[in-house]
Amino acid sequence: MEFRNYYEILGVRKDASQDEIKKAFRKLARRYHPDVSREADAERRMKEINEAYTVLSDPEKRAAYDRIGQGYRQGQDFRPPPDWDAGFEFSGKGFDPREAAGFSDFFSQIFGRMGGQPRRADHHAKVLLDLEDAYRGAVRQIALRVPKMDASGHVLLENRTLNVKIPKGVHEGQIIRLAGQAGQGGDLLLEVHFRQHERFSVEGLDVHLALPVAPWEAALGAIVQVGMPDGDLKVRIPPGTRGGRPLRVHGKGIPGNPPGDLILKTEIVLPPADTPAAKAFYEKMAREFPFDPRGRAE
Amino acid sequence: MKDALTACLVEEMTIEEAAAATFVEVEWLLVRVEEGLFPGASRSHFSSRLLARARRMRDLERNFDASPELAALFADILEENDELKIRLRCAE
Repeated sequence: MEFRNYYEILGVRKDASQDEIKKAFRKLARRYHPDVSREADAERRMKEINEAYTVLSDPEKRAAYDRIGQGYRQGQDFRPPPDWDAGFEFSGKGFDPREAAGFSDFFSQIFGRMGGQPRRADHHAKVLLDLEDAYRGAVRQIALRVPKMDASGHVLLENRTLNVKIPKGVHEGQIIRLAGQAGQGGDLLLEVHFRQHERFSVEGLDVHLALPVAPWEAALGAIVQVGMPDGDLKVRIPPGTRGGRPLRVHGKGIPGNPPGDLILKTEIVLPPADTPAAKAFYEKMAREFPFDPRGRAE
Repeated sequence: MKDALTACLVEEMTIEEAAAATFVEVEWLLVRVEEGLFPGASRSHFSSRLLARARRMRDLERNFDASPELAALFADILEENDELKIRLRCAE
């Protein structure tokens, strides 16, 4: 297990006051908070910063950390001495042991015992799924780090893999429940997030897709085939469709009650003028169509 | 491979479930629901879609000493920001 130098993570001296620690945390939280940060590793850094602040902002945890951390450097191999916590009286204030699932093994090993009792037996975790799972449902293996209290009251993180049948109709932020999977009769609540899809974007239950169309399909109207996560779909392009115009296909977004819509953004793609025949065709169009795209068609 | 566990979609949660999922006391959540800081929520209905808002407000209050009203205002702005980011991605 690697030692975590919380002072270094927050960029404060070991004798920093509570006020200095709070200021340092807030400064870093502004920089790395995933809601606002443009840094590539913002989420990982924010977890580290939160973990460091959870320890250093709590006098009990900070005192225990200072006692065991003497002489250790960030990243150094670390084994807590046996009974290192003898003589400490912990109030159990400050964090719910299940929050430790987002923190490091170092935190769980040292401070797991100091959390209060979980307020309810349900557990909560985030899972990453594909948009296809929302359309078709799926069976997915989900790996979780589960905080467990041992006989001496320490919270330890256990790795657990579950084979889960995901119902169709899940959406971003959706909670799904696995009854009785949290131990002691509690439920496991999983919060769904989608991996970024190379073709589709998701807005609530609506699904957006760029749809390339030929100029004659846009001008004359056409029925085109669109590949969807649950199979092909035939969509009618109305005559006179302009590029960039969104076409809404009701009920073909994420399934549900009611289902979302599919929103197609048409992109008119010109055939390349890369053969004599194609060039001749464009030249004929130029001659025969008195069309000015920057003005009005005559 | 063991049989797959069947998951159920959860749209509405109890206040107790929502508080547990947010790692806050039930009272913390209830007070804010009754003050109208969670749109559409009531003592008996809490949409699972509001969990992210509850976590943001908890963090803002806990880490920045924000008042509940200020945390709610900031959560409104972040939600609008999320929505605009999604729209931008969809429009690209």
